[in-house]
Amino acid sequence: MKLVFDLLQQMSIFLVIAYLFTKSPAFKPLTSEHLRGRHKLILYLIFSTFSILGTYFGLPIQDAIANTRAIGPVLAGLIGGPVLGVATGLTGGLHRYFLGGFTAFSCGVSTTAEGLIGGLVHLYLMRRGRADQIYLPIVALGTTFYAEAMQMGIILLLAKPFDQALALVKNIALPMTLANSAGAALFISIIRDQRSMYDRFGAHFSARALKVADRTLGILSKGFNPQSARELVDIIRKETGVGAVAITDRNKILAFAGLGDDHHLPGAPITSEHARQAISGNQVYYADGVNTPFTCARATDCPLGSALVVPLRVEQEVIGTIILFEPKNKLFLNLNRTLGEGLANLLSDQLLRSRYAEQKNLLTQSELKLVQAQVNPHFLFNALNTIIAVVRKDSDRARDLLLHLSNFFRKNLKRSGDLASLEDELDHVQSYLKIEKARFEDRLQVVTRIDSDLLSLKLPTFTLQPIIENAIKHGISQLLEGGQVTISAQRIGNRAEISIEDNAGTYCDKLAGEGLGMNIVDKRIRNLFGADFGVEVTCIPEQATRVVVRVPLTERPS
Amino acid sequence: MIRALIVDDEQHAREELQVLLEATDAFEIVGSCSNALEAIRVINRDQPQVIFLDIDMPVLSGFELLSMLEKEQMPQVVFVTAYDEFALKAFEEQAVDYLLKPVDPERLNKTVEKLQQVGASTLPAHYRTAELKRIPCIGASRVKLINPGSVEFVRSDVSGIHLITDDGEFFTELTLKTLEQRTNLVRCHKQYLVNPEKIDEILLLEGGLAEIHTGSGRQLPVSRRYMKLLKETFEL
Repeated sequence: MKLVFDLLQQMSIFLVIAYLFTKSPAFKPLTSEHLRGRHKLILYLIFSTFSILGTYFGLPIQDAIANTRAIGPVLAGLIGGPVLGVATGLTGGLHRYFLGGFTAFSCGVSTTAEGLIGGLVHLYLMRRGRADQIYLPIVALGTTFYAEAMQMGIILLLAKPFDQALALVKNIALPMTLANSAGAALFISIIRDQRSMYDRFGAHFSARALKVADRTLGILSKGFNPQSARELVDIIRKETGVGAVAITDRNKILAFAGLGDDHHLPGAPITSEHARQAISGNQVYYADGVNTPFTCARATDCPLGSALVVPLRVEQEVIGTIILFEPKNKLFLNLNRTLGEGLANLLSDQLLRSRYAEQKNLLTQSELKLVQAQVNPHFLFNALNTIIAVVRKDSDRARDLLLHLSNFFRKNLKRSGDLASLEDELDHVQSYLKIEKARFEDRLQVVTRIDSDLLSLKLPTFTLQPIIENAIKHGISQLLEGGQVTISAQRIGNRAEISIEDNAGTYCDKLAGEGLGMNIVDKRIRNLFGADFGVEVTCIPEQATRVVVRVPLTERPS
Repeated sequence: MIRALIVDDEQHAREELQVLLEATDAFEIVGSCSNALEAIRVINRDQPQVIFLDIDMPVLSGFELLSMLEKEQMPQVVFVTAYDEFALKAFEEQAVDYLLKPVDPERLNKTVEKLQQVGASTLPAHYRTAELKRIPCIGASRVKLINPGSVEFVRSDVSGIHLITDDGEFFTELTLKTLEQRTNLVRCHKQYLVNPEKIDEILLLEGGLAEIHTGSGRQLPVSRRYMKLLKETFEL
């Protein structure tokens, strides 16, 4: 009975070592599902060491050693398969063999065989598709039990003289079988717990990172400014749970949330040496609060004690930083450090994208200006020529036309904004149409059908004018007998459709080719409202051209 | 007095120009046309000495109009346009002058001087005109523009000039002479032009006459007078 306790005691030391092992980086390979060659080598070394230690910690008894050597090879086989099991068993067995004693040979052989048994169980479970059972303590218990029973058999078979072997087996069989089985079961249960903790930990970390990513996505598309920074710091602080979060540009704090917000005020210049270094050096700066303390330069009673400063970059150029703080009484978690750096990368990507979008938008704007400039002279001189002729016959009408002409040009110059109401757009277009109507007289008929609920609808400025100009310049004016332009606006589902249709069908090829500015109008609407909206052109040669503008009913998509 | 024709698709522009031209006392206005097709008819009929021609007009531009006139009847041309910086160069080669709308009466006086210098009374004027790429034909409701290459032959009768194509027969305002001069159609008879590409065979008959069989099985007469021309075309 004493032997049972002695072995259990020995096993306890073993388990402590096992526990420490699971906390060490060497444990890492076991957290992945599939073991690679290098990982197997590490496992071989570790389990061989366990096996050899088991022999050393063993108790000398009757010129033999009662021990816990079996745990190493059995678990090696169970976790890593027959090859790893046999290799570990052979190592432990050879070591035992060289220690001598009358059971030296039989123990060497049986230890190798125990590794093999572990490996066979592994193979069996894998083939049955029950890989999850490998880490069940009960499986380890049973496998070790059988392995130990077999060892006793081998000792009886191989150790000479037989009666001495029998006496030994009678003495050690029960304690060793019990101790090894229980030890293996406990060991595997430690490994299993550690594995699942890693999993949960990983899942939790991923979930948090994804949540932050999801919530911050798109905020920066509104630009890198105090408003968007404010939204970001609130989200990051809430999701990471750190003491405080700040976002700065190159010179000043854009937003700050958390402890110490009484003196870390948005708009204040950056005082922290760490942040300045991070900006000038384009590198992450970490003050862990232990080796490198973070000292607030603004207030001596500032509760913050550690900080992580990560630069925000756009194309390698630092445009600001994101700073995570923890108070003096709290450790800065490694987890948050990784999260902080990942976040900065994510935000940098978003910044790059929004800057790209902005540039694209600028380009569109300038293209638009160019198109307007190209169009005007032709229209202007024809309008003036018409008015000069009208003056001779009807000076009141000429005066009216001049007023429309000035209204049209004034609006052309004034409208610099992004969006205008449909009413504004129509007013602009009306002046234009009045003049064209005078120019073409009976050759141009205009029909307008506007749902009056839609007059406040927002659309990009200069959306309608170029379309209507096309319909007249390339459409109606190319018909000998003249034709009709129909402008209509109606609500369809959750969007508004503004349609400009002429009965000429004379410029299908031009629309298909250079696009006549329709591409720009389309691009602007898509940029503003998203890909569900835009301009659609249908052209039936010699019959009709229809341009449909689709915009959302609400001003901007949420 | 110079006999002048105004061609512009905008009514006000025509009226204004007419007032200005009359004010110079140099012109007799023979007509005012709102499109090129109408203008072709009037030019062929009334043979004005000068045309004041807008460029941007429906269906056929001013340039195209010039390519549809008989060389012998080519009037002097003054382009009148609102704004077309790229075309300005072309005006100089193809017209005696050009005017910008709105037309300044002072500037118009210079045009009158120019016209009198070149001698507006001497027809025809010689301009580099574009090749005729489309033959305007008047259909039921629309003007159809026909590629000369697709024409099989052209027939002239009391009702006018008819283009015969695979798609049917079309009536045009252009004269046989214009078509002969501006396209690759060849005269084979006083009343016929034929597209050499569409000829299947030429049957020589007695008395120097001949008969053309086209690819589609139609037969055209060849008169003695044009037999020589036909032979030259085919290097016979």
